[in-house]
Amino acid sequence: MKNASVKIRISTRALLMSTAFAATLLTGITAASAETLTVWSGYPEMAPFYQHVADGMKAAHPDLQVKVEAIALREHEKRVALGLTGGGQDGVTLIELSGSTATRYLENDLLPEAPADISTFVKDPKNFDKFFSDIAGSNGKIYGVPLFRGQGSLFYNTDMFKAAGLTAPPKTMEEFSEYAKKLTQRDASGKATVSGWSLRLSGGGQGIAEKFWTNMHQYGGAILVPAGDGKWKTNFANEAGRKALKQYLDLVFTAKAVTPEIPADADAFERGQTAMFIRESWVIGDIAQKAPNLKYAAAPLPTGSIALPTNLYVAGDAKASKIGWEFAKAANTPENLVWLLQNVGWLPNRSGIDYKAVTSKQPAFAAFVDYPQGYKFFTLPSIGPIEEILTRVAAQLVVAFGDASLATDDAKIDAFLKKTSDEVNTILDREGLLAK
Amino acid sequence: MLKRKRFIFAMLAILPTLAIFAYVRLYPIADTLRLSLFQWNILSKNKPFIGLANFRELMGDHLFLDALVNTTIIAFGVLFLTIPMALIIAALIFHRTRSKMAGFYETAVFIPHVVSLVPAAMAWKWIFDARLGPLNAFLSFLGIPMQNWLFDPVLSVICIIILCSWQALGYAVLIYIVGFKNLPVSLYEAAKLDGASGPQSFWYLSIPMLKPITLYVSVVTLVSGFNVYAQAFVLASDAQGAPGRQVRVLVLDMLENSFRNYRVGYAASEAVVLLVIVLGLTLIQFSMLRERGRT
Repeated sequence: MKNASVKIRISTRALLMSTAFAATLLTGITAASAETLTVWSGYPEMAPFYQHVADGMKAAHPDLQVKVEAIALREHEKRVALGLTGGGQDGVTLIELSGSTATRYLENDLLPEAPADISTFVKDPKNFDKFFSDIAGSNGKIYGVPLFRGQGSLFYNTDMFKAAGLTAPPKTMEEFSEYAKKLTQRDASGKATVSGWSLRLSGGGQGIAEKFWTNMHQYGGAILVPAGDGKWKTNFANEAGRKALKQYLDLVFTAKAVTPEIPADADAFERGQTAMFIRESWVIGDIAQKAPNLKYAAAPLPTGSIALPTNLYVAGDAKASKIGWEFAKAANTPENLVWLLQNVGWLPNRSGIDYKAVTSKQPAFAAFVDYPQGYKFFTLPSIGPIEEILTRVAAQLVVAFGDASLATDDAKIDAFLKKTSDEVNTILDREGLLAK
Repeated sequence: MLKRKRFIFAMLAILPTLAIFAYVRLYPIADTLRLSLFQWNILSKNKPFIGLANFRELMGDHLFLDALVNTTIIAFGVLFLTIPMALIIAALIFHRTRSKMAGFYETAVFIPHVVSLVPAAMAWKWIFDARLGPLNAFLSFLGIPMQNWLFDPVLSVICIIILCSWQALGYAVLIYIVGFKNLPVSLYEAAKLDGASGPQSFWYLSIPMLKPITLYVSVVTLVSGFNVYAQAFVLASDAQGAPGRQVRVLVLDMLENSFRNYRVGYAASEAVVLLVIVLGLTLIQFSMLRERGRT
């Protein structure tokens, strides 16, 4: 009897173990048959878009599992630097990177070349303008698939414009200053409670320098310009740089139309704490979500804007990476791109897509697509030290924006610009990129 | 023979711990020292040896020098604010040990040390907010003009010192309370018989006898002060819609050089400078307190 009980116990244990083993085996088989694709994005608002693309691929790939990991841009950049060099990531990873940032990875063979069909798709001028296909490649080879771009336009609060007696957006940089002064709302003590024009004066990262560059572009200046043979030179220790910096300083210290402590950027615009600011098209989607009743419009800038293309790159085993490239191509279907513009607001880069369904509903998009003839775009140079250059220029600008003595002293402004230009030249020289 | 066997056993017993310590602590330090002599962009297989060039460049790098000055001010600011306050608070709590509220006092002081840094920093960010913050509201109630706490170059450093001290205080108080509990009661009784007042006992008995505790707490506070990063990051950086000046500190500068500028060798040389500073200051603190202990 005792033996029988032991036998039963043993057989029960054996049964349990076999069940567990079988279950483990089955799970393993299921996992092996499922395709997994990880999407690394530096824009949290893009997560629903990638999920939408993944949902659209379900019919052709029922076992495809897409993990979208969208985090803040600066953290994303660190993740890519560590992830691509450290290796060890499982499966295929689709990585979102701006063309200028991807350069270093391409130079070090850390991102693979796109397969022939993707290369043909990207190089086809019917799909992408040469500007975008060039930035997605290097030395004639294609490494990424263009997706969207950051392009600045002016956003302005139409109610505030009406109250200030302004009927049209500013058309020159001088008008920008005049409007900012008129639009500033103050309390009884004269302190600004609503800024006339929100300028990026503080914070971290290179955004301060990018925004300054956009303003300086209207005056004909640039932080860097190509000088041929892959060399670069600065172009801001000049009249354009002085005018751009002086405009900031005048609005901060003289007119006090914008102050460091006043809320800034899209959040402030959505809360009615600033009358106008320059930003990318994603703001339209953001306003639709956070401040749907805000009365606003958008307008092109006086002479042109930054256009910062973001591409999709694929990392992982060459054989398995096919699904990554397929996803990048699927993200560029007309249906998905219209969805992107309508729901997220970033401007798709693909040509020949009819966006009327979106632009007719949301006229603010017109400022980004219907710009005047001769409108000049600039982009960040695809050179290794671009982030370092912009970060250092930004650090210098923050100091300048806090120095009231610069506001009324052109010689001091010139000295500041010369010092900053010299610092940039030192970096270019160190990297062998300085035009002599 | 037995002694040797016991020694070998002791060594074998301690070996796994030593191996783990060497791998997770000593190896990274040694590798950082090695990397500081190379030019490496994290992505390239090519890693040329450049000797002390990174250190020479550091000496002329205004961002690094700014970071060094800011970090030093913050570390010493936290030290000078935390140690006296912790000592006084611990003495008050110890004095009220028999009170039913003693546990509450200890917990209340210690909570900031265990609270997650990011939400705590966000709360402080609101406190320091120039327009809506309660700190400026309180100052205006006293007739003091509004301050740009998070943008002014000096005030933004003070904000970080306050935040770091608020966090460090709980740990220092807890250690001091343990120290107070181990002080001999007989000495205080003798002092009382000799007519010493409470403050006199505190000044002439407690403070000298708590020197080893003060040494430990000050070393820990100073080292963590030099490693300040997240406080500066959360209070000011990438603050869309909520402006703040990015106070450049050493760890932030290292991260920026490593992962934004792709200059790992250069960042390693910054880490070496930080290591030398912290080691040097720790040695100075040890020697100062030992000498005073002897006298």
